[in-house]
Amino acid sequence: MKPPEGAPNVLVVLIDDAGFGNPGAFGGPIDTPNYDRIAADGLRYNRFHVTAMCSPTRAALLTGRNHHAVGMGGIPEASGGFPGYSAMLPKDAAPFPKVLKENGYSTAAVGKWHLTPEKEQGPAGPFDHWPNAWGFDYYWGFLAPEAGQFDTMIAENQKFIGVQEGKDGKPFYFPEAMTDQAIDWLHGVRGHESEKPWCLYYSTGCSHAPHHVWKEWAEKYKGRFDQGWDELREETFERQKTLGVVPADAILTPRDELMPAWDSLDENGKRVFARQMEVYAGYSENADHHVGRLLDSIEEMGELDDTIVIWIWGDNGASLEGTPTGSFNEGTMVNGLPLTNEEQMRLALKWGGLEAWSTEMMYPHYSTAWAWAGNTPFRWGKQVASHLGGTRNPLVVRCPQRIADSGGLRSQFTHVTDIGPTILDMVGIPQPTHVDGVEQQPMSGVSFAGSLEDSNAPERHTQQYFENFGNRAMYKDGWWLSMRMPRIPWRLDPELLKKFAPGVWKPDEDPVELYYLPDDFSQATDLSASHPEKVKELQRLFWEEAEKYNVKPLLAGFSPFFGILPPLGSQTTVTYHGDVQNVAPGAVPRVYNHSYTISADLQIPDGGAEGVIVAKASHLGGFSLFVQDGKLKHTYAFLGVFEYHQESEGELPTGDVNVELTFAADEAKPATPGEVTLFVNGEPVGSGRLDHTVPFGFSGYAGMDVGRDNGLVVDRSYADKAPFAFTGKVKKVVFDVAPHLDDKDEHALHEHASQADTVRGIRA
Amino acid sequence: MSDTEFDVAIAAYLIPDLAQNEFDALVKLVEDDQLEVEGVALVTSDADGTVAVKETGDHLGRKGLEIGGGVGLVVGLFAPPLLAATIVGGAVGGVVGKFAKHRVESGLEEKMGAALPPGSAGIVAIYDRAKTDTVNTTLASAVRKSVAHVDRGGAKELKAALAEAQAGMGG
Repeated sequence: MKPPEGAPNVLVVLIDDAGFGNPGAFGGPIDTPNYDRIAADGLRYNRFHVTAMCSPTRAALLTGRNHHAVGMGGIPEASGGFPGYSAMLPKDAAPFPKVLKENGYSTAAVGKWHLTPEKEQGPAGPFDHWPNAWGFDYYWGFLAPEAGQFDTMIAENQKFIGVQEGKDGKPFYFPEAMTDQAIDWLHGVRGHESEKPWCLYYSTGCSHAPHHVWKEWAEKYKGRFDQGWDELREETFERQKTLGVVPADAILTPRDELMPAWDSLDENGKRVFARQMEVYAGYSENADHHVGRLLDSIEEMGELDDTIVIWIWGDNGASLEGTPTGSFNEGTMVNGLPLTNEEQMRLALKWGGLEAWSTEMMYPHYSTAWAWAGNTPFRWGKQVASHLGGTRNPLVVRCPQRIADSGGLRSQFTHVTDIGPTILDMVGIPQPTHVDGVEQQPMSGVSFAGSLEDSNAPERHTQQYFENFGNRAMYKDGWWLSMRMPRIPWRLDPELLKKFAPGVWKPDEDPVELYYLPDDFSQATDLSASHPEKVKELQRLFWEEAEKYNVKPLLAGFSPFFGILPPLGSQTTVTYHGDVQNVAPGAVPRVYNHSYTISADLQIPDGGAEGVIVAKASHLGGFSLFVQDGKLKHTYAFLGVFEYHQESEGELPTGDVNVELTFAADEAKPATPGEVTLFVNGEPVGSGRLDHTVPFGFSGYAGMDVGRDNGLVVDRSYADKAPFAFTGKVKKVVFDVAPHLDDKDEHALHEHASQADTVRGIRA
Repeated sequence: MSDTEFDVAIAAYLIPDLAQNEFDALVKLVEDDQLEVEGVALVTSDADGTVAVKETGDHLGRKGLEIGGGVGLVVGLFAPPLLAATIVGGAVGGVVGKFAKHRVESGLEEKMGAALPPGSAGIVAIYDRAKTDTVNTTLASAVRKSVAHVDRGGAKELKAALAEAQAGMGG
């Protein structure tokens, strides 16, 4: 199959967890020279919308369909039994990269993925939902919702290849590495086929937590946020007006009382919070820099003007999930461990102080209030699909052949589902009616290609529903009905969610706000009281759309909180033969909230051995069973807050040796304390208590390894020997994760584990 | 030694200039006779993690820049090999002299280094126990603070108090 004559290349760039008011091209405080460059050569779209959540936006972007219609109303960590929330790409919704591929394009995706059900992320597959199956010839990146940028667990095509080494003596850094991979792929394609067009989906892990960046990038912003979030919003708003991305008559919306006024903070707090934003800004600019490298490379190949560049700054609004304090370790929030400002500062000091805020020693996320400032001029942010802070993000498009007024602005209402139809329209490939013999759902988005040439092109996307985890909106012909469920985005505890259970929560009784966006860019003036009929009309329309696109049942993504659980896994014993590495987080045996044992058969040579037997994740949450100084040792890292250590009294014997760790939980309940006992050849040799255990998960991205501790290590005492590979032989490791549970306990823990998956995923 | 009972406090800061401000405030209290100290030191950890005594104050509220003549007791404890000559030569109080002669090697510098990551700062102070509230109020920006009583006696006792305070900085 040959592509249409003169078919252009396609580059789609997606930044993660960022807001309308972040990049300089949209008035934000972050220097984004390459985003500015594409905006200057192309167009800025200031009424472009996403879904308010990660995976839903990505699914809508790649398929051109509404997220629920392709099973991605929720996130892959909590895929369940409802069609709109299955996380299973249906066969009748071929993504546009697949359509391009089958019409003569070479296709690749690099970077963050987050569209594969977590349970399928292993060598046994299935691979129907991995990137290759979505239409990409080549994939390199991470499947997880987020990842450490210095110790990213990489997947290539259909295999995890683990944490990679840096190049040229430099440490590994994901933004740099993914860009190198993208450039290498382009060079390879062009070397092989001189004319074949390509489509590259470049999806950064930035600026999602952890905010990891080289120090010099953060240092550049030193002092630039000392004025605080309240003033930053005002400054950004003025720049936005000057640039014209916000109309002159727009109103800056007020701060919600959930976020503290900057002036209410003490000096210590101000300085710590300012550092959080300095790091975020440097991290974001670094992402812009690497996209710039990619653009330069395409330009050097002489193909930039033959490439459609579509660059979306944020798959949802900036993330509010840092809670008002921000955190040295996002994992504390994921695991429901609230920390005060003072506690956060003490723990930041423990892990290296503010100098380390951007490093692998922490897993930083900034304060909710910085995210709010990043979403200027709107209210709310990520997760909140009812408001523009969660759903309206910057878009720039470059296509010299189609754009006469470079540097211009477009204000047509556009949506992420429009990207696929627009690309197919621009390259001259019709939307297929059948793919692989399967009749296709029509794309719900519409092409906005006409607006490239004509700033006054009629608005084609006139109606759109929004829904994410219960927050809803209905847009039609300029009117926007906001239906925010009364839930704080960063609160996900079971008790709080009870009031949203089926039969308890009545969505139509939620407070509503009505805005007329052509006159009210920022959603500042609520017209619901004066237009009750419009409210009812849009409420009715929402339910019609909900029916049509599998949005119902609302909150299906929260179903584990309402007693609707996925099937209980039957495998309670997991055996790893040899040095199995890079076990994905979702495939790690469940060692949470109940008793378990880990048994290992070792061969220890004469003279002894040292190294890791099995380890999961890092010092910010994880466990490691290892041999050091001849002794069997166990370290349990409780989210960077506490560390628990046990060790054998004597040295291990040589020869064939069995070692075992048992954790006897006090109760089968979340975060249960319990007693660890170490055994050697069946004899107890050491013990100790875990006063706290991790209830949800150690890490959203870091893997488990047998025979070594890849990436960041769990116990810093062997960091200088990382990955501290075992110098004897680990013959096998056996996890028994369901000992001594009765049916009631088993059900309760399964329910909790399912809820945990939801919580981890929703923050992605 | 006077009849005053002393506590030793170790305070760690994420922001060095806030530590400086509060160090200055402590010294001012001494100058104004509102607080009695046996010594106070401002310790910084630079970007490379090198821990150094930046400034000191003595029981008279006299500040010494770097390793100056007005070195107080805590500095003697903090880096005795480096400062011994200064301390012995300085006309500081009897307690200081006593401890200095003992050349207390508390290992505090090393320990303090562990407690002070690069880019942070700390204050070590030995002060009149009756003014604990005043000191606490003054050291408001410290993100970790640990206090131990100094038992009457010699170097061994003071060293034990410092070790106790240091232990409180862990975790």
